[in-house]
This record gives sequence, structure tokens and C-alpha cells, in this order.
Amino acid sequence: MLQLSIAIGKGIHYVSKKFNRAGSTWPGHIALKTKSNFVSSIIKKNPKLKVILVAGTNGKTTTTKLIQEILEKEGYRVFRNEAGANLLNGIASSIVLNSNSQGRLPFDVALFEVDENSLPIVLDQIKPFGIILLNLFRDQLDRYGEVNTIAKKWQEALGQASKQTILITNGDDPMLSFIGEKSGLVVSYFGLAEKYMKVGVAPHDVDFLYCPQCKTKLTYKMRSYSHMGIFECLACKFKHDKTETFSELPNPMLGNYNRYNINAATLLLIKGFQIEKSAIVDVLKKFSPAFGRQEEMTYKGKNIFLLLSKNPTGFNQSIQGILEKDKNPNVLLLLNDKIPDGRDVSWIWDVEFEELKKSKQITISGDRAYDMALRIKYADLHSDVLENTSDALDNAISTMKPEETLYVLATYSAMLETRKILSGRKIL
Amino acid sequence: MNHKLPTTNYQLTIGWLYPDLMSTYGDRGNIMTLQKRCEWRGIDVKIEKILIETNKTRLEECDLIFMGGAQDTQQEIVNKDLFENKGKILKEKINTRIPGLYVCGAYQFLGKYYKTAEGKRLPGLEIFPIHTENPGENTQRLIGNIVAKTENTTIVGFENHGGRTYLEDKILAFGKVQKGFGNNGEDGTEGILFKNSIGTYLHGPILPKNPEIADFLIQKALEIKYGERIELEALDDTTEQKAKEVIVSRIK
Repeated sequence: MLQLSIAIGKGIHYVSKKFNRAGSTWPGHIALKTKSNFVSSIIKKNPKLKVILVAGTNGKTTTTKLIQEILEKEGYRVFRNEAGANLLNGIASSIVLNSNSQGRLPFDVALFEVDENSLPIVLDQIKPFGIILLNLFRDQLDRYGEVNTIAKKWQEALGQASKQTILITNGDDPMLSFIGEKSGLVVSYFGLAEKYMKVGVAPHDVDFLYCPQCKTKLTYKMRSYSHMGIFECLACKFKHDKTETFSELPNPMLGNYNRYNINAATLLLIKGFQIEKSAIVDVLKKFSPAFGRQEEMTYKGKNIFLLLSKNPTGFNQSIQGILEKDKNPNVLLLLNDKIPDGRDVSWIWDVEFEELKKSKQITISGDRAYDMALRIKYADLHSDVLENTSDALDNAISTMKPEETLYVLATYSAMLETRKILSGRKIL
Repeated sequence: MNHKLPTTNYQLTIGWLYPDLMSTYGDRGNIMTLQKRCEWRGIDVKIEKILIETNKTRLEECDLIFMGGAQDTQQEIVNKDLFENKGKILKEKINTRIPGLYVCGAYQFLGKYYKTAEGKRLPGLEIFPIHTENPGENTQRLIGNIVAKTENTTIVGFENHGGRTYLEDKILAFGKVQKGFGNNGEDGTEGILFKNSIGTYLHGPILPKNPEIADFLIQKALEIKYGERIELEALDDTTEQKAKEVIVSRIK
């Protein structure tokens, strides 16, 4: 039966590839249809395979890619699921494609990025070697539901993991820190060095300002961004634990959010694989993030910098990242409301677009371009709206000097669409 | 962009209830809209953030009130403060026709009670003649774009709620649903217009794309405060109307 599921899955993959259809989750979908415990039975057949799960609102793909590159450099054989194919069917697909017909996976490590809501079902099927919980922010509330609900689900789901599981989580996030403390697993915390934090009032895109234990308002000594920082509850004494901050590591990408991703990966590599920091530095120096995530491209002779920005915290971090590079940026904002973007675009009002006040120009496109234009109007800034994305790109680059860069901030489907235009071909 | 109009002698204090707790779905956009639309007309405006720890007398000084939606945990913290502390003043404000906007969780809580999925009756502030029932996890949440007709205009937004709200008298409905679910997905009503207060399920947030509603609130607030008939100067709402049209056109 197992062999049959694999054979059918591989067949589907062959067919969908042949017809160049976006079919990355189909083989797994079919494998699960023929055998609902497909994932768990294959994993059980490969007891030496170390499975690592990476969950969180932002940074899953970047973190997973970084871990893979470092492990491979150290001689490990690694496979991972495709970016975005992070439901159980996506994981099953990557298993189908990487196993032989007998269900053997000739690898040392499997890296799976896992959708926030899918972590419980995945943990139902897999007893992982390690779990990384990166962060938890509001994201597509129409699809994921409320952040507290996800936190609760995660907490319950971790109860299914074996007690030897290595849990790597964000010690600067009060809710994740709380989940870590209560998990009973072998937990280690990553965080950000204080030199990257600030003293100040809470920003607007926060989700956990109150103590997860007793619901008293938390006090922050320092903050990195959103609700993350060095916190303390004065009522019940729940507080920020010691975190590993690896401030000596280089950050080849923009922004503090990538420092978190790097630190999460590094902590896992040290705790789970005893890898030397020097080896991590070597890979980091040459590392480039996954497609669409801080990707540099050239289009009609102009520099384009593409940043996937899909929720308030992600967008705020993209804006901060851009401003680190360019004080007067040219900006293109692309807002879609298709299923992968989330149909509700209310969240743009939680983003600090006022920070773009010194930009040279702001161009806007996407399904909900006028919603974005309205947000920009209420930030007292000017923008040009072009309904067609291709026209918007042309308009944005038309006034740019050769040395300038156009920063494209796009939601998920808009990012894919733009990449298609920029590269002149279909990717994924 | 709108140019500032000559400064008037009008002043408004807008109370924003629990901005750190009741602000999950871009609710801040409602405050920005009220603020800018006052400023663009030269009306002096002050935003008073009312937190758990804020003294309740600050609420008394407000000419217009806004409270957004929240997640369950946050809502519990807020409910406690309203019951023990600020609810009485809020009730008096609404009953003396001080205009306000109450979205989703806030709207529900201003009603008589909320019946949970387990059948437990949680008391509300008993200001609006409504009650809400949550039919449980096995019943679908009401999620999606919504278009409704109010007395004077068409409004658009996005709704996402598990609770079903029922008006004691349907004549109080804020709007008639054209597409979407509204109060309960059954009787075609959306929200409530009670004295000068609006309770609604519309996120989006509601005010940026429905500037008519923002202006209604501002106008009423000025009329009550200054005791005279007020006509607001028109603003250029081209972008607002285009954003609204995108949603309206999808139901055609």
C-alpha cells in the first residue's frame, strides 16, 4: 500500500511537471488520499532520519534554506519541502519526491517548514528531532484566525512531541517564551542582542502586550520590534529568560528580522548538530535568501529589489530594511487579496507607511491598489496608482537614475506575479 | 492630497477606547480617518487614548467615541474594566446622543448578552437592544467582503465573526445587506444605529472607504457639542470612492 501511494504520487508529479502545471502539492495530496497515515508510516520506516520542523508567521523559508545550506556544507544529506508548500500535503509531496519506491529516504535530515495552523496535524504524524518556533504575529486573520488561538494550538500540539525533542524558540517573544517554558521539552531560546533593541513605547503591530500567564500588562526594558523585547511581568514575575544572541555573526540580509532567523538557525545547528560557528559564518557570508525575499533583479536596465511583505510586522520590517539601505527610496507597493494573500486587507492600516515620507516616489498596483492608495493618502503622502502591474513597474522605473533602486513590496501572489514579469518567465 | 481649509473655531475630542487591546483588524484606520477629515477641514482635534489604567473622567470629556474589535483574551480584560469602571459613563454618553462607532467585539459587548457556544450567557453592558449568540465551532464563521445599503449611501467592508447578533427591533438596523452576512446571515440586517451611535461588523476598516459615515459622526459630534446645525465642507473623495467601487463592482 505504501509503495502504491509513492508510485501514484511520483506518477502525478511526472505528469504535472510534463504539463508544466503548478503541482507541487498534488503528489502529496494523492498519497494522503490513498493512505491517510502516509507521512507517519514513511517517517517510521526511516528511523535514522532527523526531522526538523520550522514554524512561525515570518521567516520560515529563509531559516530553512539557511539550515539546509550549512548542513550540506558539513556533509549532511538534506531535503526540504518547497517554499510555501507547507501544509501536510506539501510535506507529503516532498517525501514522495525524495523517497525511493520502497519508501526509503536516503537522507540524514528532513527540513519542513510548517504552516502555523498545520503544526498540530504535522506533529500528529511526525515525532521530530527538533522544532523551531520563530515568531507569532497577526497574519491573514480571515484564514488563520486569531493569534491567541494559534498559540493555544501550538501549546497543545507540543504535548505530542517526545520529551527529547529539541525546541528552539524566540525568547524575546512573551508568548513563545511562555510556550517554551511550559512545553517540558529540551528548550533553548534565541533572541536579539540589546544593541539592536531600543527603549520606547509599544509600536502598533503588537499582539502580546499582556502577560500570557496572569494577563497583567508587561513591562519592557528594551524592544526589538512588534511585541518582542526584554519583558517582565511585575505581577507574577514571569519574565524574559536568557537568550542566545550571536551578535558576532554577520547578517547578509536586511533588517533585524533576519538576525532572528539567523540566530534561530544557528542555535538549532549548535544544539542539534554541534556545528562550529566558523562554519556558519562561512555560509552566511555568501548566503542569499529564497526567491522573492529580498531578491535583487534587473529589469529594463534598472535595479529592482523585491521584498515579500505579507502582514503588518513583515511590512514594517521591510520598510525599516529599505530605509537602512536608502533614505530616499523609490517604492512600488503591490496589494492583492487572493486566497494566499488573505482576502481581508484591513491590516494595511496597522503598517507604519508614514515612515516612507522621505521616499522619492510611491507607485501602487494590485487587486486592491485603491485601498493602498487610501492608506497612503491618510499618511499625508502622494502616490500614483496604475491598475496594471506591468504598467506600474514601467512607471516606477521611468524616472529612476541608473544607480537608483526600485523597492517592490508585494503580498504573496503579487510577488509571484511580479517575478514573472521581471524574469520574463514562469517560476513555480 | 487634500489641502487644509481655513481654520474653524471648532474643536473635538475623540475618545479611542483601549487602543492597545481592541485593535486587531486595522481599527486604527478609523481613528486616522476621523482625525484627518477633521484636520483637513480645520477642525482642531484631539485623540484621547483611553486605556485600562486611564482615569474614567477622561472619557467624560470626549465628544466622539470609538472602540474596535479584539481577540478573546484581550476582550476579557476590557470587559472587566467596563463592568467595574468605565461602562456607566459610556452608557450615559451613548444615551445622551454622543456619537460613536463600535466594531465587532465592541458592538456585541454593548448588547444585552452574548451566549457562548457552550450555552453560557455572558452579560453585556445593556446599552444596545441586541443580543448575540455563538452557534459553536461547527458552524461557519461569517467571513468575507460585505456590501450594505444604509439610508443614504452604500457601504463596504470585510466581516469576520462567529457570533450572530439579533436586533430587538429591525428598524434599528444600520444597513441592509446587499452581499455578505451582516448581523446574523439570516435577516438581512447589518449593525445598529442607536441614537447617534453605530454598532457594526464591518472591518476594512469601515471609515476610510466609507467617508460618508466618518463625516456623519464628525457632524453629529459638532452639532451636539456646539448646539447648532453644522454643514461640513466637502472633501475630495475620489480615491475613497474608487476603493469602494472595487468591492461594489465584484457583486455585479
